[in-house]
Amino acid sequence: MHSRSSPHVVVVGAGIVGAAAAFFLEAAGARVTLVEAEAPAAGATGASDGAVSVASKRPGPMMALALEARAFYRELAARGVLEGLFHPRSTFLLARGDEEASLLERHGADLAAAGERVVARSAVDLRRLLPGLGASVTAGIEVPDDGHAIGYEITARFLARSRPALRRATPVRALKLRGDRVAGVVTAQGEIAADRVIVAAGIGSAVLIGLGDVLVPRKGQMAVTDRAQPSGPAIGGHLMAATYLAAKRGISLDKPHIGLVIDPLVTGQFLIGGSREENRSDRRTDAATIAAILREALDFYPPLAGRRVIRTFAGIRTACRDGLPIVGPHPAVDGLVVATGFEGDGICLGPLMGACAARLALGEAPATDVSVLSPRRFAVREVAQ
Amino acid sequence: MSDAPVLVVGAGPAGLGAALALAQAGVPVVLTEQRDAIGGAIHRQPASPQVPKVLRPARHARSFAMLAAGLAAAGGRIDLRTSTVFLGLDGADNALIDDRRRQRVEALSPAGIILATGAVEKVHPFPGWELPGVMTAGGAQVLLKETGRAPDGPVLVAGSGPLLLAVAAQLAAAGNPPVAVLERGRPWRRPTALAAMLASPANVAEGVGYAARLLRHGVPYVTGAAVTAVRTQGDDLDVMVRHGAAERTYRVRHLLVHDGLRAGASTGITETRDGPVPVLLAGDGREILGADAAVADGRRAAAEMLALLGRGAASAGDEQTLGAARRFQAALARLCEAPPPSPPPETLVCRCEGLRVADLDHLRPDASMRELRLVGRFGMGPCQGRFCGASVAALRPDADPSLKASAVPRWPVRPVSLASLAGFGDPAARTNPRIHQDTEDR
Amino acid sequence: MTGTFFWQGRRVPFGEGQTLAAALLAAGLRDLGGPDGRPARIFCGIGACQACAVTVEGLGVVEACLTPAVDGMRLGPAMTGDDHV
Repeated sequence: MHSRSSPHVVVVGAGIVGAAAAFFLEAAGARVTLVEAEAPAAGATGASDGAVSVASKRPGPMMALALEARAFYRELAARGVLEGLFHPRSTFLLARGDEEASLLERHGADLAAAGERVVARSAVDLRRLLPGLGASVTAGIEVPDDGHAIGYEITARFLARSRPALRRATPVRALKLRGDRVAGVVTAQGEIAADRVIVAAGIGSAVLIGLGDVLVPRKGQMAVTDRAQPSGPAIGGHLMAATYLAAKRGISLDKPHIGLVIDPLVTGQFLIGGSREENRSDRRTDAATIAAILREALDFYPPLAGRRVIRTFAGIRTACRDGLPIVGPHPAVDGLVVATGFEGDGICLGPLMGACAARLALGEAPATDVSVLSPRRFAVREVAQ
Repeated sequence: MSDAPVLVVGAGPAGLGAALALAQAGVPVVLTEQRDAIGGAIHRQPASPQVPKVLRPARHARSFAMLAAGLAAAGGRIDLRTSTVFLGLDGADNALIDDRRRQRVEALSPAGIILATGAVEKVHPFPGWELPGVMTAGGAQVLLKETGRAPDGPVLVAGSGPLLLAVAAQLAAAGNPPVAVLERGRPWRRPTALAAMLASPANVAEGVGYAARLLRHGVPYVTGAAVTAVRTQGDDLDVMVRHGAAERTYRVRHLLVHDGLRAGASTGITETRDGPVPVLLAGDGREILGADAAVADGRRAAAEMLALLGRGAASAGDEQTLGAARRFQAALARLCEAPPPSPPPETLVCRCEGLRVADLDHLRPDASMRELRLVGRFGMGPCQGRFCGASVAALRPDADPSLKASAVPRWPVRPVSLASLAGFGDPAARTNPRIHQDTEDR
Repeated sequence: MTGTFFWQGRRVPFGEGQTLAAALLAAGLRDLGGPDGRPARIFCGIGACQACAVTVEGLGVVEACLTPAVDGMRLGPAMTGDDHV
């Protein structure tokens, strides 16, 4: 097991990224303490859809990373680590009208160019594959190789398979520095010494890593329905509005604040999202926004009218100003690694990024080149200590 | 001073007590009730005048008649909305209500909210409690009040608490005395608790009346007996019972279970006095004090609300009634105190999600209540933990409750039609049914 | 109103002012579960436990214990949708 010389790594944040990092650190022989402000998966990880999706990514580094991250899910499932938790499924990107259809055509070409399998679907095809689909859907593309994973389940599995020391309800107030090097973290319940620290605390990372206002909260409201059937996804894929893609690609169509996704859960329920609310970090939901999301959902998939909403919730995406996550060694503090800013892609990217952060924390090169995500691209402000 | 109404949720004795007191003080009230008539569970009225009346104390009938008369006299000051389910307060401080008749979700902007949604029955799980034919004693009681008809075939009443006696006596009076009443506790061994109850003669007289009725019908009242499992046997149920060292099986059509009442579980919403919309609880939903005290507690909550809103002074007039009820309930609780048998691994705990004791055992031993919900999915179904929440807490007494749930107030506190909710705030929303209708006749 | 509603095609009579729950129980229909065997039945009588949720054509999923019976209503198990009512 651990030798006296194995480094002690504190991971701040027990979301999917922090839990993955803890798992891979332990596998590499490090001692790990996972320090969590609330409870595992209590933040964005537990308040998101489960899309392990390449289909929804912007062309460029995010699409390339998502391809690797999805392959990593398949690998971890095959290795047994995530056995039974990764469910292959199609993503359907759906257009209402010509403008959206041409956006999807362009996006399909970008996906194909990145090596992703894409099938153009006519309205007739779509109604056959997705019985009940709304009349306003005019065209779509199917991305058959995507998958589904539930953030809190992945997090719990990583924790069950690694058993790091877990400190719940322990918000980290500041980093403890010794010269230019990190020496631990300061919590409300005292200091925890560490040889290395990984900060994977979502929006809570901002104050710790001193990158100022490059991280912004982007709230997303969602609703969950009762079961349409006792188990298994009630429709044959994850439905995503072209407007969702438009928001992600930075294109403004008519409803930029709602990017509709209808996520059929393995429980037979539906998860329906979501809003994109800039600079909102409260986790309350309001009827006006939820109703607007549901109206969109009914337009795409009218059979939802027979369901009941049993829960609404909001997650806080941690968005980075330049649209890319921040993963890499801190530019000013030795021994500190940052892994945050995944916005709405944390479930897809989480395991891979956690593995990368673990390697970086141990001073090794990660298997995936994440240099484009390095925090060195930003000027450092004050690091909280 | 605004003239925004106070929203009172629940038209049982506490809600009616609160609404009448507020109206009397000149404050407009919106009173919502999930059923199509007032009364709540305790004063559930017969579905029609032809339905035979259920055995109950005369003072309950008098109390309800006074409340109903008060409501009629209040006229327009109380806007009564039946078939309307309260969904909670949203992030924009809207009080959301689901008008089931018009299939619409609407927002109110009340000056304050009094939640008088009643108690939820405790049911300790045992293998088979989820089977058809097993009902709560309270659930059977409201149906009996509605229809005047007892469930058909042999009925067994089991669990703990005084409601078992009341329901058994009402079944007997309706023509179907239960085969037995099984009380898990041993009240005869608690003489001090029995003595303490004598301070409330009306309640004692009620209990004696029920006991006499059971005696007359030859219904055995067995103490120290607990249900350990239920199995279906054709259309019947085989109920396994442990009584001391002995085991016995009852074959019945219906098993009525009840292990006492829980406050606070009906909506899960807690009191807030300093927010933009103060929220107070009243009646058995706040504290189990019984029907008589519920009216007084409604008045107490109304007085406190008036004080919070600067429209009157809090009165202490009902404190004596509440104090007496509190002492009586404490004695009752001691009387029937008995731990339930610990459920075996195959016992269903969370019916909505199909989760068993064994599923709970598989979760990390150090998991907080938050993780038992989020990761374990206990209490994440449509009932939102109203029944399994207490079971999970009892089975995992060491789980950190400070991480119970999200710090954010959640809505809807009850499932709501997606179509109704989608119509919220939409001027284009139709008010007639929006569900897809198959034109083909079946 | 007195009348008849239909549980999965079977006629269920009801009396004036009755809820779906009261009429279903009086007709001996205790098991409200779907073909999947998931337990569903009238339990708490006050809308809290959600175990008596049924699908009513035109209304969606509602609690049988809260919903007044209406002549001609068609209902079935909660999870199966309008196809099975």
